[in-house]
Amino acid sequence: MATLLEQVEVDTELGGGGGGPPPPGAGPPARGGGPPPACNPWALAARRLWRNRIAMAALLLFLVIVVMCLAAPLYADHVAHVNPFVPNLNGHTVVNGKVVPVMQRGGGILKLGETPIGPTWDPSHYFLGADSTGRDVAALLLYAGQSSLLIGIGSAVLCSLAATVIALIAGFFGGVTDSVASRIMDVIWAFPVILLAICIGTELLTHSNGFQFGPLHVDASSLWLPTLIIGFIYIPYVYRPVRGQVLSVVNKEFVEAATAQGAGNTRLIFSEILPNVVSTVIVLLPLIVATTILTESALSFLGVGVQPPNVSWGTLINDGTDLVYTRPWVTIAPGLMILLTVLSLNVLGDGVRDALDPRAKLRVEG
Amino acid sequence: MKLPNVETIAARRGARPLRMMSLGAAVAALAVTAAACGGSSGSSTTTPQTTGHKGGTFTILANSAFGVADPAQNYTLEEWQLLIDTHDGLVSFQKAGGAAGNKIVPDLATSVPVPTNGGKTYLFHIRKGIKFSNGQTLKPSDFVTTFERQFTVPGPTSFYSSIVGANKCSTKGCSLSKGVIANDSAYTLTINLTAPDPELMDQLALPFAMAVPASTSPKLTGNNVPPGTGPYMWKSYNPNTQAVLVRNPYFHVWNSAAQPAGYPNEIIEKYGLLVSDEVTQVLNGQANEVFDGDSIPSDQLSTLNSPKYSGQVHVNTLTADYYFALNTRRPPFNNPLARQAINYAANRTAYVKIYGGPSLAVPTCQILPPNYPSYTAYCPYTSGSNHTKWTGPDLTKAKQLVQQSHTAGMKVVVDSTNDQVGKAFAEQMVSDLNAIGYKASPQLLAASIQYPFVQNSSNSGKWNVGYSAWYQDYPAASDFLNVLLGCGTIHPNSDASPNIAAFCDKAIQSKIDQAETMGATNPSGAAALWTQVDHADTNAAPWVDMFNPKQIDVLSHNVHGYSWSPQWYILIDRLWLS
Amino acid sequence: MLTFIIRRMLWTVLVMFVITVLVFIIFFKTPGVDPARALAGRSPNPQTLAEIRAQLGLGRPFPIEYGIMMKKIFISRDLVSYSNQGVRVVQEVFAATPATLSLVFGATVLWVVLAIAVGIAAALLRGTVFDPLIMVVALIGVSAPVFWVGQIVNMLSQSALHDTFLFSWVPPLGYTPFLQSPELWFKGLVLPWITLSILYIGFYGRVLRANLLEVQNEDYVRTARAKGISERRVWLRHTLRTSMITFVSLFGLDFAVLVAGGALLTEVVFGIHGVGYLTWQALQNLDLPTIMATTIYGAFFIVLINALVDVAYAWLDPRIRPT
Repeated sequence: MATLLEQVEVDTELGGGGGGPPPPGAGPPARGGGPPPACNPWALAARRLWRNRIAMAALLLFLVIVVMCLAAPLYADHVAHVNPFVPNLNGHTVVNGKVVPVMQRGGGILKLGETPIGPTWDPSHYFLGADSTGRDVAALLLYAGQSSLLIGIGSAVLCSLAATVIALIAGFFGGVTDSVASRIMDVIWAFPVILLAICIGTELLTHSNGFQFGPLHVDASSLWLPTLIIGFIYIPYVYRPVRGQVLSVVNKEFVEAATAQGAGNTRLIFSEILPNVVSTVIVLLPLIVATTILTESALSFLGVGVQPPNVSWGTLINDGTDLVYTRPWVTIAPGLMILLTVLSLNVLGDGVRDALDPRAKLRVEG
Repeated sequence: MKLPNVETIAARRGARPLRMMSLGAAVAALAVTAAACGGSSGSSTTTPQTTGHKGGTFTILANSAFGVADPAQNYTLEEWQLLIDTHDGLVSFQKAGGAAGNKIVPDLATSVPVPTNGGKTYLFHIRKGIKFSNGQTLKPSDFVTTFERQFTVPGPTSFYSSIVGANKCSTKGCSLSKGVIANDSAYTLTINLTAPDPELMDQLALPFAMAVPASTSPKLTGNNVPPGTGPYMWKSYNPNTQAVLVRNPYFHVWNSAAQPAGYPNEIIEKYGLLVSDEVTQVLNGQANEVFDGDSIPSDQLSTLNSPKYSGQVHVNTLTADYYFALNTRRPPFNNPLARQAINYAANRTAYVKIYGGPSLAVPTCQILPPNYPSYTAYCPYTSGSNHTKWTGPDLTKAKQLVQQSHTAGMKVVVDSTNDQVGKAFAEQMVSDLNAIGYKASPQLLAASIQYPFVQNSSNSGKWNVGYSAWYQDYPAASDFLNVLLGCGTIHPNSDASPNIAAFCDKAIQSKIDQAETMGATNPSGAAALWTQVDHADTNAAPWVDMFNPKQIDVLSHNVHGYSWSPQWYILIDRLWLS
Repeated sequence: MLTFIIRRMLWTVLVMFVITVLVFIIFFKTPGVDPARALAGRSPNPQTLAEIRAQLGLGRPFPIEYGIMMKKIFISRDLVSYSNQGVRVVQEVFAATPATLSLVFGATVLWVVLAIAVGIAAALLRGTVFDPLIMVVALIGVSAPVFWVGQIVNMLSQSALHDTFLFSWVPPLGYTPFLQSPELWFKGLVLPWITLSILYIGFYGRVLRANLLEVQNEDYVRTARAKGISERRVWLRHTLRTSMITFVSLFGLDFAVLVAGGALLTEVVFGIHGVGYLTWQALQNLDLPTIMATTIYGAFFIVLINALVDVAYAWLDPRIRPT
């Protein structure tokens, strides 16, 4: 029976077939000066990842972002001394030693409009300026990150889990199961999500005490809502490539070999096929997180994503679209955070893919 | 008149919700002083009548179209600003800026008649020799069809419900043979009412009552506008792209006060751009006007302040209220002390800033807006002792009242629209409520859902404070005080129940009823009564009234002849292009 | 192949049926939605509302109302919008289709070509500094929400830099039909094409790069090299083809969604009145007939394009049979 290592080597996309796997137990060629090769391929992959400096830098960036967002209450209470969830239209702050109003009236003869102050670059006084209701953008940015990360990662994970399970079943059993599953995916993909979000959102909002799903109580402004909706709609997106992968693996010799040895369906699916498919999912995962974070921002832009009093990077971008010409930082800051998060996840994802593929020629070596 | 159901991109983008035009009707009986009307804080409202020259195509940019075009149903400022150039009524508002724009002048009738029969009968002489844009000659019987369509086409019917026979009319059929009597040989039209109605002339000047040919279908004509008698005619209307108006070849001037010849040769209205892009295009000279019902986002407001554009931007006061209705059906706001408490605590400066600052909004506590009949400044809910003007909140008083009412700590749901401005209003109100001891939370709905939602009593258990706005239909105090706060406009379980607060006070209602009947016989007595009603309503605090808004007109540099009428706002065919 | 096509047709009909039923049910379950009120005009009296409700036959069982709406869409094609009763939705959707297709096809060509170039370049240059650099630049496009990018582009091209040589050629926002003026059609679409494609270039470039690198080490590639086939041919004929599987499957999904009106935010920001824009308006006004029409239009394309992708799978990897 082929070891896990060989399966990881032999597989990925289509192609392969042909030459047989290296003899069991051989392990990867030794690297100069390193400790003797471990037998556990996952540990090997982890070590490879650890040696990949760029990927580690990306991981660090991502962790820094996460920590910063978790530290939002600390920043708001102890550094900036604001409550960023309450409008502060009549407030004042200190810039260069002078007390200035947070909202400033327009100039000229007409004096139209009220413009919030721009970035002061002073961490204790409106570091990134104020938004259209006078709230501290920097503090909001960190709190918003908590929601965005939670929704982005949560929905990507749920989505990938569901899609993988369905793809395994559909690809393995083929035939009618596959057809039905694929058509259900078509329905999901073709469904007007925004309508669904509007309806669910409205339904929830008008139950001011939230919803009861049996023993579960879901509050109207709960973050579970956008998480589940977004996770749901991207299932087809993960399903298709994973199913393609499953289909190619299903036909490989080692599966046939396992069947010949008397393996039942469950063992075939979970021990033979799933491991070969996992790396596809892992590679896709950061891409899906990027997509879900962006989708959340789109839904929040439409008003059916995250609801007040919660904030997310998407609602911040939405709030700032009115100020794009005069106070671009109100939209640039959350956009930048999304970009850095997505970037770090993708670079990390690359590193993970490299680490999982021991036969890649020009792999970065530690 | 209320905000439309269409929620626009502008609204999404965080500007104000698309406003509906409020039609000011001229107040025939009550003179509004020149100082009061349309007074702006910016550029001119009226330019001297330098004669412009004819020619050119005038292009308006609007964020969205106005829905269906049939004038019997359409109730939008957007179409009305065009309909007044393509159609005429028995009477109309003078097409002039300033106070003159409030005056009712004869249009298709030769003169404004004095009613007889105790104020119930009006005899109009119809002008001869006027043709529709399809060449047909206007006859008095055309008006019969016009009025009957008001009832057979679904839409607002309350305006003409005092005509004899109207109560039997419905979308199934309508015969006003006793109420609107046309004599095609004598060229007269007689209107009989069931009771005197001092507001009739104003209502006859609305586009609902503008003449269409007798052959027009009693059913909705969809996006085809029936022919009219005005200087322009509708060439095409596609709500996804544009509307095009061209000159009516059969038009000649019969009363230049009512319907002058227009200057532009063609008027085009294009739909679908974001409002900030509309402003950019007009300032670039690629179009001539930003539709004045589109709310301008705050970063473009800063652009407009620049001295470069000072001749192109005009600001005018509107007779409208932006307010929060308090749900008087259930705690805590079934308790008048609690309602007064939030009125003392509401930070109107903040609401004004949300809307764009003191240049665009003026705080208010009472129901009637300034420059309106029966308006006398009154604001009890302010700090300090001057009760004619709001200067600041009084939190101490507010907290006291909360304690007295025993409602402290109660949960309050603030319902608003999910555009930028509605959201900000809700958040500020939540903050104001929390500051005096309530536990408030916001509830944001799409604008097209929110307005019917707060009107329908079956949703009453789900909200306590509901955002809304109201623009006048015509300047009669009843348009605010009776329509929005009268016992008769509470329709249970209906999406059309404009008394959102469900406020009904028997004593105040009897004053209202008295004022209504007095209106025809003793206008000044009625006016004084309406003022009392306004103040009594303000004391009972069914609302938290935030402010009265102003409106901005943005024009390209080559547009001249700007005038602002308090009824129709910008008069499009009076503008000329260089 | 024929059975495949027939089977797919049947499934298409079933999928569309299911979707339309779901849309119908969801719409009427949304609180605050009352078609009678939408049709009654503004500020109707309650009596008018009741009359209209009776006229519309509201309150009849769902299946009957559903059937009537389907008949009006497919057979008599006179379904009327709730927010504007002068508009026939089927005709409206057809009229809006050219704008969407112009936008989507142009952007697609741009993004596919550039993504392939980016993916190959990054894979070839792997190990050098260019690989991560290319990826970062591509990623920046992926990370920014399209409505934000579009507004920045508009701000620069219409306002701030409008008078410079960079952007003075940019016409006012909006779509000009090709037959009306090919030049304006093209000029008006250049910036929307770029904006829309930026989103996808980075994403697809990475996917392709990842697959290319995996496939590099497959036995058959090694065999091809051992046979002395030129590096370029190895890449184009042997490597690229099988790496395209993931690319193609994701592409199918994304392209389908865009054609179906998924580029709605781009259409809105650039004033292009395509199907996405219609969908957007309809959702805001809760205009069920238009929502239904655009959903059906979209569902049709999605199912169709998925079928084409399945055929493409089979061509790309003969071991996979279309199901």
